[in-house]
Amino acid sequence: MNTDEHYDVIIGLEIHIQTKTKTKMFCSCPTGYFQEEPNTHVCPVCLGLPGALPVVNKHALELCILMGLALNCEIDSQVHFDRKHYFYPDLPKGYQISQYKRPICHNGWVKLPSGTIVEIERIHQEEDVAKSTHHIESISGKPYTLIDYNKSGVPLIEIVTKPCITNAKDAKDYATRIRQIARYLDISDADMEKGQMRCEPNISIQEKGKWQLKDGKIVPIGQYKLNPKTEVKNIGSITAVEKAIEYEIQRMHDQIKNGEKITQQTRGWNADKNITEFQRSKESADDYRYMPEPDIPIIDIPKDEVNKIKTMLVELPDEKVQRYTNDWGLSKYSAEVISSSKESAYYFENLQKRLSQIMTEKEAAKEASNWLMGTIYAIANKSGKDWSQLNISLEELSSIILAFKDGIFTKSRAEEIIQQKIDTGCNIEEEIERMRKQKGENTTNIDAIIDTVISQNQKAVEDFKNGKTASIGFLVGQVMKATNGTADPNIVKNTLEKKLK
Amino acid sequence: MKMDIKHTAELSRIRLTDDELKEFTPQMESILKSVEVLKEKDTTDILPMKEHIPFDSLRNDIPKSSLTQEEVLKNCKHTENGCAKIYGDIFGSDEG
Repeated sequence: MNTDEHYDVIIGLEIHIQTKTKTKMFCSCPTGYFQEEPNTHVCPVCLGLPGALPVVNKHALELCILMGLALNCEIDSQVHFDRKHYFYPDLPKGYQISQYKRPICHNGWVKLPSGTIVEIERIHQEEDVAKSTHHIESISGKPYTLIDYNKSGVPLIEIVTKPCITNAKDAKDYATRIRQIARYLDISDADMEKGQMRCEPNISIQEKGKWQLKDGKIVPIGQYKLNPKTEVKNIGSITAVEKAIEYEIQRMHDQIKNGEKITQQTRGWNADKNITEFQRSKESADDYRYMPEPDIPIIDIPKDEVNKIKTMLVELPDEKVQRYTNDWGLSKYSAEVISSSKESAYYFENLQKRLSQIMTEKEAAKEASNWLMGTIYAIANKSGKDWSQLNISLEELSSIILAFKDGIFTKSRAEEIIQQKIDTGCNIEEEIERMRKQKGENTTNIDAIIDTVISQNQKAVEDFKNGKTASIGFLVGQVMKATNGTADPNIVKNTLEKKLK
Repeated sequence: MKMDIKHTAELSRIRLTDDELKEFTPQMESILKSVEVLKEKDTTDILPMKEHIPFDSLRNDIPKSSLTQEEVLKNCKHTENGCAKIYGDIFGSDEG
């Protein structure tokens, strides 16, 4: 990170998310095109054939409004669509149906784990374009483009922040939070590798004290001339958001240091080289000749419709962290890790509920958190898997924890059983039953087992009698081994000490 | 009203020669001039006249079948691997 103290870093982020509908934005073609045969999810509407008319997908607008509600936005009472014109083969109509002056949602905010607030300028509804891939013909050497229109017309929402982000880490946290919220609400799978979520940061650096944020725009103070911004595209992962921004900040600082002029440009992130590369300069402002979409009437959204959509909201990660830390006393770190995905949060909450049968809610939460953070995630990490891929169910894990709490076996034995279950898929209930039976036998036989261990380990016994008290630990270990970890080590130690006196 | 025909042509991906520019500019300007009369009306506080529809009347999210790949590509000059094939940077501009 550059520490140049004379400059402020100003970042705005545009995030596009494909929302999870069954049909496209303006036609009834199915959306599930991933790995499907090209040009099989296409009709005259999304192919832009003359005379075809758009018919708005209600659920798509519901999801856009839902995202707006989750990001604390004001929801407009009407939906206005506009045409954004540009000519490129991936856009068969010659314009994209989007929203210009009146986005459905505006003026929102989202809180990052660090407490920083990111202000949302707007969220608007639009449609995706076709997929184009570029090639060179081997015989003629001519460049050509192949186009698959399956993606054309898939619902897309664009979430735009105000230029209020001041560092790369916050930008990354913001993108992570947006992805989390989209997944929690089932608005989208938001997989960046599949192109379901795309992040495009705008970055500039300005001299400290020479600029201000006014009505969501950066304006110069006095005679200061603002430095132009760069926009970075082709970012394929959340980590690349941070890396690309850091790279750009450094590049701009270097340009200023070397007395070079910063120019407004679009750059592309190269994930192999970890650099941004020049794509095109933006000397003139984009000119899209926006106009109101004449083929779609104004759509009125009554208040009770918005209220109905509000019922689709669920407890979001930020609220979960609050509850886990305030009500249940979890550490902020644990609460954040557990609530990072809806699946892990639900798993944790269900485990907590099961454990509450034999302890207080708060104790159950701590116990559940410890087993997830200390055991399950650790095993997952070690095997390079996501925890949800581990072959252990909620029922099985809670049975093991309850048996451990019941004193059937030690914690390390419990962890062994979990590992064994994950590796070999053994039957947990049978295993616990076997241990429970053995424990019963051991309790009656513990005297005999200890006697055997004493007679077989005379050297350690002598050491202990000669004042080397540490050797009691070895003897306890031998008894634990003989009882398969089911004996209570404290009782074993006491009995051993009595017998060796 | 002055109109930058060259810029408009570039946005529309139309290549015009200098002679064509000279010829079309006054023509376009005369069209604009004839509709300029609309500007005389004061439209402050007047909402655009457009039909309104209720949210409830929008299309439900139920898929219908699409065209076949063969139908989709029927009008394409060139195809490859089920895709439309386009030479050059834009709409077959470099087809030669």
